Amino acid sequence: MRSTPKTERLAIRAVGVMVVLAAVALLLGWIVSSFPKAPIGPRYVGAGNETPRAGGTFVFAAGSNIHTLDPHFAYDTLSTAACRLLYDGLLDYDYDGEMIPSLAAKLPVVSDDGRIFRFELRDGIKFHNGREITAEDISWSMHRLLSERIGSPGYPFFKSIEGAGAYHAGEADHIDGIVVVDDKTVEFRLDEADQTFLNALAMPFAYPIPREHVEPLEQAEGVDAVGRHPIGAGPFVFARWERGVQVEFRRFEDYWAPAARPDRMVFLENISGDVASARFRNGDLDVIYRPSKVSRLFLRSADAWAPYRTEVPSPSVFALGLNCELPPFDNVHVRRAVAFALDRSKMERLNPGEVLAASQVLPPMLAPYDPALPTRQRFDLDQAKEEMRLAGFPNGIEEPVTVWVRGEGDVRLAQLFQQELKAIGIEIELKQVTFATYLRETGKPRVAQAAFTGWHQDFPDPSNFMDILFHSRSIHPQNSENRSFYRNPRLDDILDRARPETDREKRLALYAEANAILADDAPWAFLFYPVDMFAWQPYVKGFRAHPVWLNEYRHVWLDLPRKRVSQSIYGEAESP
Amino acid sequence: MIQFIVQRALWGLLVVMSVVTLVFFLIFVAGDPAVTILGPQARAEQIADFKAKKGLDQPVTTQFLSYLGVLPCVRKDSPKYERDDGSRGFCGVLQGDLGESYSHHESVADVIGHRLPRTLLLAALAILFELIIGLSAGIIAALRRNRWTDTSIMFATFVGISLPTYVTGPIALLLFAFLLGWFPFGGYGVDALDHVYHALLPSLILAVAGAATYARVMRGELIETMRHDHVRTAKAKGMPASRVIIRHAIRNALLPVVTLIGLSLPFLVGGAIITEKIFAWPGLGLLTIESIHSLDAPVIMAVVLMFGVAVQVGNLLADIAVAALDPRIRLSE
Repeated sequence: MRSTPKTERLAIRAVGVMVVLAAVALLLGWIVSSFPKAPIGPRYVGAGNETPRAGGTFVFAAGSNIHTLDPHFAYDTLSTAACRLLYDGLLDYDYDGEMIPSLAAKLPVVSDDGRIFRFELRDGIKFHNGREITAEDISWSMHRLLSERIGSPGYPFFKSIEGAGAYHAGEADHIDGIVVVDDKTVEFRLDEADQTFLNALAMPFAYPIPREHVEPLEQAEGVDAVGRHPIGAGPFVFARWERGVQVEFRRFEDYWAPAARPDRMVFLENISGDVASARFRNGDLDVIYRPSKVSRLFLRSADAWAPYRTEVPSPSVFALGLNCELPPFDNVHVRRAVAFALDRSKMERLNPGEVLAASQVLPPMLAPYDPALPTRQRFDLDQAKEEMRLAGFPNGIEEPVTVWVRGEGDVRLAQLFQQELKAIGIEIELKQVTFATYLRETGKPRVAQAAFTGWHQDFPDPSNFMDILFHSRSIHPQNSENRSFYRNPRLDDILDRARPETDREKRLALYAEANAILADDAPWAFLFYPVDMFAWQPYVKGFRAHPVWLNEYRHVWLDLPRKRVSQSIYGEAESP
Repeated sequence: MIQFIVQRALWGLLVVMSVVTLVFFLIFVAGDPAVTILGPQARAEQIADFKAKKGLDQPVTTQFLSYLGVLPCVRKDSPKYERDDGSRGFCGVLQGDLGESYSHHESVADVIGHRLPRTLLLAALAILFELIIGLSAGIIAALRRNRWTDTSIMFATFVGISLPTYVTGPIALLLFAFLLGWFPFGGYGVDALDHVYHALLPSLILAVAGAATYARVMRGELIETMRHDHVRTAKAKGMPASRVIIRHAIRNALLPVVTLIGLSLPFLVGGAIITEKIFAWPGLGLLTIESIHSLDAPVIMAVVLMFGVAVQVGNLLADIAVAALDPRIRLSE
């Protein structure tokens, strides 16, 4: 048919539309293909200074709120991290986790019976208000910490000081066991020998604060005010704090251990893992810890980041706690069966680099951790079945076991292990409750059959895990710390002998023995140690992961001015 | 004219009052701030103490009237709670006292004092971008009417109006911050210049919808004005085209745009809630979200009060401006 002018026009129009559409598609394709690739390496490098250099602003971030800057209340990791910049105490830890003197001139002189600790103060130590610190300040700060009036969570760590209990109860106006010998000397006397007292003294709770600043402040604005207007003796001075947003610190010029430090530290609050990761890769954050899962995988695999990242186990342990007072876990064979039944390598495969399978209560960096410990805390299905037979349940347990979980993370863990427990004939039911309910109920005897649980160390000493979690002394009608209600007179005896032992070798040998008993008796089926990742910008120098302090940035310096680098120097981009 | 302003102002006051009342009672229904602030592990006596300090143990109507400043103060921790002569003082809105934030441990005025300048910086930059981009695009489109420039600009404005900030914001962050590294990935920086640098991307995103609206309005008005007699007369008397456009057409076409700016001001502040959240810009918007999460009632109330007053004042100013600029409106009243 001969085309009419009308159909011709229509055809031309249709072709025109198609051409335009094709052009648009081509344009879109070109735009998308010429999109820049995600940075595969650091965006900035340092100026190349060899010697440490003062100056610059160091910026770091955390995922939630800082609660307080008052060291006497700093019990969470973020408050501790902030207090680590503002305050110094008598004692500290080096990067090997060994105790070192800080405001003290040297480690204390200990009496032969291990009850009396005498400290000499260093010369030239000053608070940020310029006043020299004396032994009186140490004593006054300890009295504030241990007073009932302020109600610090740190009190239990110092109960062993002579007269601390009477003072806390308001029966005495002075703690007998804290003696100011002279301006530079202070002595602590304990009720009984206790090696962990030094660990307690190294906690932020024992950091001194100046009385002339604190007393008027408390009077005018209440006890909380100290946490908002802090004055300490640490390497940085408080500048300002906008709650929930950021805290700023300035370098303290009169610090007793001068070193090249940044002019300013900025600690951002409430930055989620995803945002922090993006900001870090963009060069907006100088260091990151616990990046989001995706970023973590990327940082692990990107060669360009290899010199600027590290992964270290966190000083904590996660486990499935089994209530030794309630059936079926009152039977040690059932507990051992559970410990044998769990394939911990599954977790390692599902969360590459984020967890390390646990075989004992002590985390790997804490002596006497023993990688070769012959333990029942490993996956072996045959052994697990054999233990079930020994327990008298060759065909499994009829009644399902109730496992208490704290949140989504625990639920996923439980689902992971559900099949394996089924394989040895234990059915589990999950009971998900709020964290507050979980804490309250699992602390009562004969309530929770089993619960996902864990522990993060307060200070690097095995007693901080074993005494608290498994000594029969930690069982109470309410708020038991021993939430598996495990009672073993032999373990109690070993722990009671180890705690005051001053001979380090003997002490560690006792804890090694206790460690083996716990792995064997399985009040907990140990699951994993979390692994923390840190990454820092190439221009950040002097950063190392600290075995005790989670965010330890007092020794960093910035190699400025930083230089922007072209991503092409890292070669072709690989998809993360 | 004065009667008109007074009438509008009274209406505005009524609206603000209703909103404030509604929100106060909504917060009361929403939950117990004492529990939210002190956390699930707080002891009963801590909660009771907190409630006594903040006056939350009083009947809700008493709390509300005290908040307004009609009844005496119920917040025992307020310095105005007790006067020197022992009688109870007033600590309400009427006395200019917005109370103390539960979670920030600062007076609400101080908290807002920190946050407001940042939101104003964002809003000011956004208005600047809206006007520059929107007006120039609108003028170009009007002058090139029905040609491809006009069509593409109008298509772009259509897209701009349709795309919400929670789409454009993350895309901009991904492209310009993460992939290209031109801008910081959210946050607000550590010193003055850094704050402006951090504000550029969020204010551009905040300006997208406004710029698109201005472009469309400007185009329409300019085309309309160009048809008016006075423009034709100007052309006819031999005035250069550029002068006609600038002095006679654009100037007149700007009128509705001025109204729009007045009306949009409070929404720039309010609309910044999403933008501030996406870009983690700690201004009033983020403060609003945070305080709602933590049931920080004094801050929520203050923000609602501020937004309410801002909307009403903006409307009033727009009405007055239009009335002043256009005698026809004045006459018809």
